[in-house]
Amino acid sequence: MEKHLHRRKQRKKRIIAMIILIIAVAASTFELATFLPTIGELNTPANSYISEYYIENAVEDTHSYNIVTAVLADYRGFDTLFETCVMFLSGITAMMVLSTKDKVSKSIEKKSDDVNIFESDIMDNAFRIIIPIIMIYGIYVLAHGEISLGGGFQAGALLASAYLLDKIIPGFRTVLDRITEEFALVVAGVGSFIYLSTGLLPMFNGGNFLEYGKLPFGSKSIETVGYLHSTGILLIEVGVTICVAGVIIAILEVVLERTSFDE
Amino acid sequence: MNNFLIILENFLAESGIYVLTFILMALGIFGMIVSGNYMKKLMCMNILQVSIIFFFLTFGQKNGATLPVVLEHLLGAESYINPLPHALMLTAIVVSLGTTGVGLALLMKIKDIYGTIEEDEITGKGGSKNE
Repeated sequence: MEKHLHRRKQRKKRIIAMIILIIAVAASTFELATFLPTIGELNTPANSYISEYYIENAVEDTHSYNIVTAVLADYRGFDTLFETCVMFLSGITAMMVLSTKDKVSKSIEKKSDDVNIFESDIMDNAFRIIIPIIMIYGIYVLAHGEISLGGGFQAGALLASAYLLDKIIPGFRTVLDRITEEFALVVAGVGSFIYLSTGLLPMFNGGNFLEYGKLPFGSKSIETVGYLHSTGILLIEVGVTICVAGVIIAILEVVLERTSFDE
Repeated sequence: MNNFLIILENFLAESGIYVLTFILMALGIFGMIVSGNYMKKLMCMNILQVSIIFFFLTFGQKNGATLPVVLEHLLGAESYINPLPHALMLTAIVVSLGTTGVGLALLMKIKDIYGTIEEDEITGKGGSKNE
């Protein structure tokens, strides 16, 4: 009886939520004409002030032809540093939450690596070919961060996805070495440290934090400032890539280690 | 009838994608309110995040503009789409991946302690599995 009542209550809640959300969507749709700019318009507030400055001065200021990377790594480098730290922190948190192994209930058992229940030749051969290509593409995306389309976050996700394919495809005989979650987190920390130290290096040469034009490499003529900017952006992209790949692998390992297929 | 179609076409061209993002956002909120399974709640939170990312990206569009990679023969801000929403949302996507990982870890912890991730069974309402 109580169960029935509860179910009816839940259905009521569901209907009320649906009505409210439909009203909200309809109201916001009718408000659109006055409230939001039309798509593709050139002179909207979002497209006007700072965005124009970024587009017109990015190459001169940062010597990065990809404006998104210029904004991400040079104009807003401090912001991206902390985004990387947030990523690293989320990896640490996921591992801390799941690190108490003594309280694991008996129903959740470790999946043994030797047994291949779902063995499949197609998966095995296809992904054996695809994984190296994904990794090469990841490096390509990383190296093209400041000259064409690419960047550190995407490259990290690609590299981690190669490892992910290697791990989670059922029946796939592993070709990559197993990376433990501790090692992956250490690698992610190294990535954050590369970013931070790239920011600190110009300070030894009389510059500000993350001022790539004063990196202590090479000669100090005006012509090399552009190369120094490219070097700085590439260095922090490498740091971001390592951090993102490490964190994704760590989360994956820590989750997969406790997964079982018994239910 | 023809007039109505023209109005509809103009509306869809000018702000149609806003409606789609609002619908996606409403779906995410609806799922988060209604579903009793914490895993489904997490997935709906991801849908909500995706809708907000789409909403930001629509601000970057410009008619007749190309990718924000500087070409030699193209000068001026009107030739390139707005790079700022793209740069902001790039980090937001990656951070949402991190939060999803933390959420998954918390779900596994809940599963360890309570033996289930159904909201009804954890709070004791709606009858337990043994009943």
